[in-house]
Amino acid sequence: MKIIVPVKIVPDDQDIQVAADGSLDYSKAKPTISTYDLNAIEAAAQLAGADGSVVVISVGPKSIDDSKTKKGILARGVSELYMAADDSLAGLDAFATASALAALVAEVGEYDLILCGDGSADNYAQQTDVQLACRLGLPVVNAACKIEAADGGIKVESVLEDTVETVICPLPAVVSVCPDIAVPRIPGMKDILAAGKKPMHAVAAAAEPSAIEVLEVKAPEQADRKQEIMDASDDNIAKFVAAIKAAL
Amino acid sequence: MTKALVLAERADAAVELAAGARTIADEVIVVAIADMPVAEGIADRVAHVTLPEGATVAAAAATVSAFWAAERPDVTLVEPTRHMKIVAGTVAAAAGTSVITDAIALEGGVASSMYFGGVGLKKQRSDASIITVTPGTFAGLEASGANAAEELAWVAPAASVTLVSSTPIQKSGVDLTKADVVVAAGRGFATEEDLGAAKELAEKLGGGLGCSRPLTEGVNWLPTELYIGVSGLIVTPKVYIAAGISGQMQHMVGCNRSGVMFAINKDKNAPVFKQCDYGIIGDVNTVIPAIIAAL
Repeated sequence: MKIIVPVKIVPDDQDIQVAADGSLDYSKAKPTISTYDLNAIEAAAQLAGADGSVVVISVGPKSIDDSKTKKGILARGVSELYMAADDSLAGLDAFATASALAALVAEVGEYDLILCGDGSADNYAQQTDVQLACRLGLPVVNAACKIEAADGGIKVESVLEDTVETVICPLPAVVSVCPDIAVPRIPGMKDILAAGKKPMHAVAAAAEPSAIEVLEVKAPEQADRKQEIMDASDDNIAKFVAAIKAAL
Repeated sequence: MTKALVLAERADAAVELAAGARTIADEVIVVAIADMPVAEGIADRVAHVTLPEGATVAAAAATVSAFWAAERPDVTLVEPTRHMKIVAGTVAAAAGTSVITDAIALEGGVASSMYFGGVGLKKQRSDASIITVTPGTFAGLEASGANAAEELAWVAPAASVTLVSSTPIQKSGVDLTKADVVVAAGRGFATEEDLGAAKELAEKLGGGLGCSRPLTEGVNWLPTELYIGVSGLIVTPKVYIAAGISGQMQHMVGCNRSGVMFAINKDKNAPVFKQCDYGIIGDVNTVIPAIIAAL
């Protein structure tokens, strides 16, 4: 099976800092693969099988064209990478992202399945899967925790809020996977060295304009908490319990 | 006259979103897919979609999309379930726009949503105003209307899947998003047996037990649906007790809008102590039984 995995490269949230005015400072945050896209890459690598292949596509600002990040992708059972890195592709909403990703899908050519992560580390909108499917005219399934080959395409088990649904999905299709589907591998030195020799295609892609207007991004105001921290003496336990009762 | 469309999959979400929609628009229309029960008197119109055999709820996307295009609502409020995210996304794609997701506040067409799991708060708007709204955002508002019923003509989706089976998830009893008390367990519990005390505390307080991600992923001590935090549950109980939870942002996002925050952790430097009202420094295995005894 040939599987395309759209991957978002984001600033590492561990290193995002909050400036004095409440704005977010990304200057120390290196580009990294959005966490749950790693699960999608791993699921794709396992599902593709020995005679299949996994191709990663990614769109974003120029900063995503980062050698270490690209090798990190190709070291995880991925055979090729198509990337459109241009500052005109920064901060796209899902509609615009899907328009740019569709151009990369066309570059890749034939495929059986597009596998997306559960949601991106920044917006977690869970909309790129459905927007891309609509644009490509493909069926879409989300929250997939199990995928296997079946008559007529693939059998997908989705863990929804109240039910587990099993569907038969014809191929090609867009499926987004829940984080539980596969534990991402940790690439070894050999994988990383080999990754440097794999094809990395720089592609020019234009995006349609975003429809969502971002008015402000700021660190949320922390709720004012009392922060009464005490040791575990009997008196303090009693005080703690009284506070619980008072709050109910 | 302004018009609001409500897309929900569950009855209580439909009521809350319809109540919120009433504060925004003159006319409120609720779309009810398949057998979702619709409470009395919550909207001006209730548009029902009958699903054909073998169709998932998400398969109603084409029908809802056609209805949206015909009605052109000024605002569309959506319950953020998996299926509704596909339905809303399909509506948006057809309209050349995007869905603003998981709003925790909505004022004057501007939606506030978490960014990077809560590191930031993002304020956004769009002309189409198709917005998924987290539970509790419109709490306390009253829905109203005559519920005039109509049936939408089925529009077959361009591409679809076939539903083979649907199995209800056996929930562990308490709905944490509705509970007054949530006790959340984290890595401070060394063994699965130790969780018994946390469960007992939750029961004694009439609440439920949840957890941080490490207890559902990897060790599987608790089911995934009890995970509180980014991509899991967002809970807002009156009392939240974080037991053996360090207070990583990824978890706190799921609980930091709770009424009063309590924390128990043996590490006095745990970040959770900066985000709680009352904290006890101590081992969960001794502190929790002491609390239970004192209740």
